[in-house]
Parts: sequence; C-alpha cells; structure tokens
Amino acid sequence: MNMIDVRVAAIEQVTPLIKHFKFVKEDGSKLPPFSGGSHIVVALDAEGRTYRNPYSLMGSPTETDAYHISVRRQENSRGGSAYMHENISVGMTLKITHPVNLFTLAKMAHKHVLIAGGIGITPFMSQIEDLNRLGAEYELHYAFRSYKQAAFVEELQKACGNKLHCYSDSDGKRLDMDALLSNQPLGTHVYVCGPSPMVVGVLETAKNLGWPDSNVHNEQFLAPPVGESFKVQLAKSNLEVQVPAEMSMLEAIEAAGVQPEYLCRGGVCGRCELSVLESDGGLEHNDHFLTESEKASCKKIMPCVSRTKGKRLVLDL
Amino acid sequence: MERGYWIKSKPIYTSLVWHEKATSHLVLASGIGGMAALKLFQQMHPAQPVTVLYARYAQMEVDYSETLKKVVPDNLHVFKFEEDLLTELKSIMPHMRMGLRIYVAGSEGFIWDVAKAVKPFGVDDAHIMKEQTDTLARNVYCVHCKAVTKSVTTNIVACCGCERMLFVRDHFSRNLGAYMGLMVDAESPGELPAIEEIYP
Ligand code: FES
Repeated sequence: MNMIDVRVAAIEQVTPLIKHFKFVKEDGSKLPPFSGGSHIVVALDAEGRTYRNPYSLMGSPTETDAYHISVRRQENSRGGSAYMHENISVGMTLKITHPVNLFTLAKMAHKHVLIAGGIGITPFMSQIEDLNRLGAEYELHYAFRSYKQAAFVEELQKACGNKLHCYSDSDGKRLDMDALLSNQPLGTHVYVCGPSPMVVGVLETAKNLGWPDSNVHNEQFLAPPVGESFKVQLAKSNLEVQVPAEMSMLEAIEAAGVQPEYLCRGGVCGRCELSVLESDGGLEHNDHFLTESEKASCKKIMPCVSRTKGKRLVLDL
Repeated sequence: MERGYWIKSKPIYTSLVWHEKATSHLVLASGIGGMAALKLFQQMHPAQPVTVLYARYAQMEVDYSETLKKVVPDNLHVFKFEEDLLTELKSIMPHMRMGLRIYVAGSEGFIWDVAKAVKPFGVDDAHIMKEQTDTLARNVYCVHCKAVTKSVTTNIVACCGCERMLFVRDHFSRNLGAYMGLMVDAESPGELPAIEEIYP
C-alpha cells in the first residue's frame, strides 16, 4: 500500500485517557480529500516491529491542510495505543495510509441517527461536518462514563446545538434504544460506533423493531486479540512465518516481508481474506465479516484478527 | 427464451407472509390481490397495528371487500379505483414510522405504482413484499416515443403513443414500472411475426 509521510504538528491531551493528534504533510501541501466516517491506518515502528492501527479521521473533510485523529489509551493495549500515547511527540514523522471510508453516510437517507459510545465518537466528528454542510436532518446521541472522561463535548455542542444528546453513566442517564428507534420517521438511517455491547444493542433493537438491514450501519473495529503462538506457511511465497502470541497473523506476515491487502485491520471489511489450504487445528475466527457457515467450513480466514487453535496453518498466499 | 437463465432486471414476486419483526403493517391490495390479503389474515392477526387499503375494481372486476370487512379488525379502507387508493396512500405515508412493513398484491402495474408512490418517503422497493395476482399483463414502455401502453397481454403491441408495433421485451425498468418495447418491423416495415397472447 502506498503510504503518506506526515509530521506530527500538535498533540493535545483531551481527557485523562484520550490524546488528539494533528498530522500535516512534511512539505506543507494538502492531504488527500476524504468523506465523513473515513479512517486511516497509522504505521508505527516500535520495539523492532511495526504496529498498524486504524483511526477515524475527525474534523472537516473540506479542510485537508491537516488530519486529526484521537487515540484512547486502551487498558490491555498490545502496544499500539500505549506507544502513541507515550512515544509520539510533536515534530516526529509517521507513515499513514490514504483514507478509506467503511462507514459512509447513506446519501438517500431522510434522517440520520448517530449513536456514539466513548471514543466511538471519532468517526462522527467528521460526519457531522458533512451533515451540517448538507443541511441534513440528524441527531447525535453520545453516551459516556462521565463528563470528565468524555471527549469533545464542547466542540460538539457548538457544531450540533440541540441535535446533540449526551448520556453520562455517572449521572445515571441512560440511552433508551427502544424508545429512540421505535419513533423515527420512514427513511431514517441509524449509525453506531462504540463498545461492542452498545453496537450489538443497536443492531438487535433495530432488527426487532423491523428496520431493514440496509438502514443500519455500524463501525466496530476489533483490536487483534492475543493468543497462542503458531506457524503459518505461505504456499505461493514459499515462506514459513512464526506468529508470536502478541502479534496478529497479518502483522507477522508483513514483518516477513509479504504485503497482503487490508483496509480496516479490524475484521470488518473483508479485504484481507485468505484461503486456508491446510490446518492442524480448528480456526479461531474473530472477525465480523465471514458468515457462520464460512467460518465453520474452515476454508477462509481474516488474518487481521483471526488465528488458529492448532500449531500450523497453510495459506494460499 | 433461453432456458436456465435469469433476467436480472425482471422482478421476482412471492406470496405475502407477515414479517414477524415490525412496529406496524400496511397491506395494499387491488382486485384479486384481495385474496392475498385474506390469506395474510389466515396466517394470523399480527400483534402490531395493521392498515389495509383495498381497491375493488382492477382489471378483472372481482371484489373481496365484503369478506375483507369481516376479517380485517379495523383500519380497512376500500376504494373504487386504484388511483384513489394511491392518493390515500400518499396522504398517510408521512405519518408512518420506521418499522413499518409494506405488503402489496395486485397486477404488476399496481405493484410498481405503489413502489413509486412510497419511494419519496424513503422506502426502497427491495423492502416491499410483493405478490403478483390478477394477470401477467405488462406495462410497456416505448423506447421510441416514451409512452407507456398499459395492460399488454401479447408479445407484440401497437404503441398507444406513436402506433409503432412494439416487441415486448423481458427487460424491466423499476423506475418506470414497465417492460421495454422495441419497434419490431424497423428493418422491413409491415412484416410482423405472429401476434400471440402470452401475458394473460
Ligand atoms: S483488513 Fe478488514 S477484515 Fe481484515
């Protein structure tokens, strides 16, 4: 994938756990345009390996002098987010991918209901810019633990006015999904980004209320889970790669010099799909892309998040 | 016609079955389509509110309105013509909420009139359950003069707009709710293949 070199122009500690990074092109030229909901992958060389983590672009898609991302320090981070927090400073250069949008706004929607949980607010930060510019009808529902830990509430108030609805756990204010989704005009689309129980909650509620699947959108990138170490054999490249416990298969393959395709690195887009030629144990499918029957057939795997329960895997790569 | 070959643009119709997950239901039927509505209520009476709009006189002049009155608990509206039904449909759509499920039964022309009427309210035709009853008659769009000849039952028909003899193709346009009609004797005027009724 061809990467863009950027310089870290500013870093701001937004909440105790969230940092906001501003990237600019080294030569001051404009970055590629993007649409609301897009993400980039940031490549970090650290401790002898390369982390590649996806982050949503925030800010206005019409202003591409700089890109803005926010990173929450994950408790059980495999290193990516902790490294971003501790080792990245202003002036450093990084490599990022071109923006990709896997969370686009539906153009034909009559109304947009956006639901964010915690750091899941980030993709909406660029979408609301698009919605405001288009004069579209929307509501933004933002749930978080406490106002102290919630990022960007003031900016959002400014940008969205009374379209913003906040729910703070510490105030005991809860978002009633059923009430929210059972009284929306026809042609409404709902979008959710946040912790897994929230995403599942929205998907289930919409389904039970009879919303068509095409009107329900979610973005839920998974962090690659750690597991047991195993060997992958790449049949076409004629290579054998050891996947360490704390690395994803995709990362290990990349470290060996092979560059499989990817977009989300979080088990949702399907781009990294590989065919399994042989495996000596069951596959550990962690993605949201393959269907249950595809998972059961053990013929395909998404190397960005999935692993094997066995010791050895042969891939058609 | 080639065998074992789907024409992608040609819509597929099914039998109406209630969606279990819904917040309300809207059933639209015309003529013999009233039978499909009755069959729905044979399946069950849904827990959610149901509205039924029925037009009595479609092409075949059958009337299920009396039986429907006995079966549909409330919210049954009977119309003399499909046009009246469509006018009422457009006036109630703005009050509908997400979770509404739409069911249509009638001629193909009626089905796509309904699809066209609800589209501006954000309902995609893919989410409408459709049952073709009454007749296989086709609406035919003349690619030469853009007129639509309604209820065509034959393989070849004279265009109601330009009077060209049109061959009725299988190519269907969802936007127009009609099959494409192409001049059949363009090369050798007056030379026509046999005209047969194939869409009774
Ligand atoms: S890169 Fe998207 S599923 Fe693996």
